[in-house]
Amino acid sequence: MPLLEINDLNVRYGEIVALRGVSFNVEEGQVVTLLGANGAGKSTTLRAISGLAKPASGDILFDGKSIAGLGPEAIVRMGISHVPEGRRVFPGLTVKENIMLGGSNRKASKAELSGEADAMFDLFPDIRKFSGALGWTLSGGQLQMVAVARGLMAKPRLLLLDEPSLGLAPVIVQAVFRIITEIRLSTTVLLVEQNARMGLSVADQGYVLETGRIVLGGKPEDLWANEAIAAAYLGGHGKPAAGLAAH
Amino acid sequence: MDLVLQLLFTGIGIGAVYALVALGFVLIFRATNVVNFAQGEFSMVAAYLMVVCAVDLELPYWLSFIIALAGMAIIGVIFNLGVYYPLRHRTYLPVIIATIGASILMANGVLALYGPQPQVLPGWFDTPGIQLGPVYLDSQYLLIIVVTIALVIFNYWFFEHTMIGKKLQATSQDKEMASLLGISVSTMIMVTFIYSAVLGGLAGLLVAPILFVSIQMGSTIALKAFAATIIGGFGDVTGAIIGGLALGIIETFGAAYISVPYKDGFAFLVLVLFLVFRPQGIFGERVAEKA
Repeated sequence: MPLLEINDLNVRYGEIVALRGVSFNVEEGQVVTLLGANGAGKSTTLRAISGLAKPASGDILFDGKSIAGLGPEAIVRMGISHVPEGRRVFPGLTVKENIMLGGSNRKASKAELSGEADAMFDLFPDIRKFSGALGWTLSGGQLQMVAVARGLMAKPRLLLLDEPSLGLAPVIVQAVFRIITEIRLSTTVLLVEQNARMGLSVADQGYVLETGRIVLGGKPEDLWANEAIAAAYLGGHGKPAAGLAAH
Repeated sequence: MDLVLQLLFTGIGIGAVYALVALGFVLIFRATNVVNFAQGEFSMVAAYLMVVCAVDLELPYWLSFIIALAGMAIIGVIFNLGVYYPLRHRTYLPVIIATIGASILMANGVLALYGPQPQVLPGWFDTPGIQLGPVYLDSQYLLIIVVTIALVIFNYWFFEHTMIGKKLQATSQDKEMASLLGISVSTMIMVTFIYSAVLGGLAGLLVAPILFVSIQMGSTIALKAFAATIIGGFGDVTGAIIGGLALGIIETFGAAYISVPYKDGFAFLVLVLFLVFRPQGIFGERVAEKA
């Protein structure tokens, strides 16, 4: 049984259809990457899984149980942690407080959370020295580290990562992806990326979304081999991107 | 010099009341992004609860105090469920209008139940005060100052050193993110309303023996407290406390040295000066510098 099973998911924002009949699975222990242009529905998929967006129809099964329509507070308690687009680090709280709050889905005392947050700095040594700094004082790369550390504090079985590389310098992007390769040893990851090269480099499985539909899915090497994908998202040489819709 | 010290004491005492109500304003504003225009009525209702318990029913003063504060906690719950919760997904405007409606309802509800006659509430202590050197310390003012200091310390501890305080701050900064972490946003907002209603009620109980207990006392206190939050920097906890104290001192000195009838005018004159020359208040951020 897959850890996460999405069946014929439809999401609407008012009149606008954001997702149409999206179906895919995430197996336990895998990293699955969703690729696609701006507005293709990648973030909406994650928002529907974590409960921020209500599905119009279709089902989302986590560990065999339907979670479609549940609120975000209930879903994170079941073990799905969402690190949303834009990091969303609390600006007026310190780095350590931000990370400690990541454990709010579990019953843990303040002392336990504090100890766990300290241990989290072993995975994110770059932000250890900013432990007492307020969120708004950090750079984009540091904020991304804090956001991922906070997401991991939920001890999730499934981690949803939305555009962790967005707006970061290449060397910082590599640091973030090194961390993802460490996270995948213990946690299943569903990753959304515009940077397809980085996104596929850590993935077991990739899916391409276009205007709310999955147009292609497969192993990273198969996606690399697809000329249209290579042209549209990987900077390769192939047919123009419009050819994708035919798949 | 003696007069200055005496006025300072009185000014801090009355300013402490403004500070407590201002704190209630700020906490609700930070949690819900809405100014609660019924904040002053919390003080008024609590004072009437106190009159009912301590004067009409002749219960012990301390017991009446506890009953009145417990009553305010319940009113905080009802206020949240009745005024904020049904409108929480709307913009700020319907919520603000609902708080104004609730304010009118509370004032007229008390008027209907208790009549327009102002009531007198005795102070907590039998001793009217103590002479300390050149300054006469009125016992009620002393109580106000001591309780306010204790509350400011409690407030700091609560928000900075407990997980629930951190969750409240997280909720006020980004509700959606807080819910993604498993923080129950509706519980946090409930806690905020209870806390703010009790704070406002406490201010009313403390100031009632100094003023008359009347239907209008709520709006008078609320206007001053609102001015205090703007002077301090809107949305800033420290600013609310400093602004409240500053306003109390300014109006007390203004009344003594310039004109008693214009006492309330000084508070609003300062408010106008701040709005013109430093609209972000003492502790507010300079928006232009940040951008």
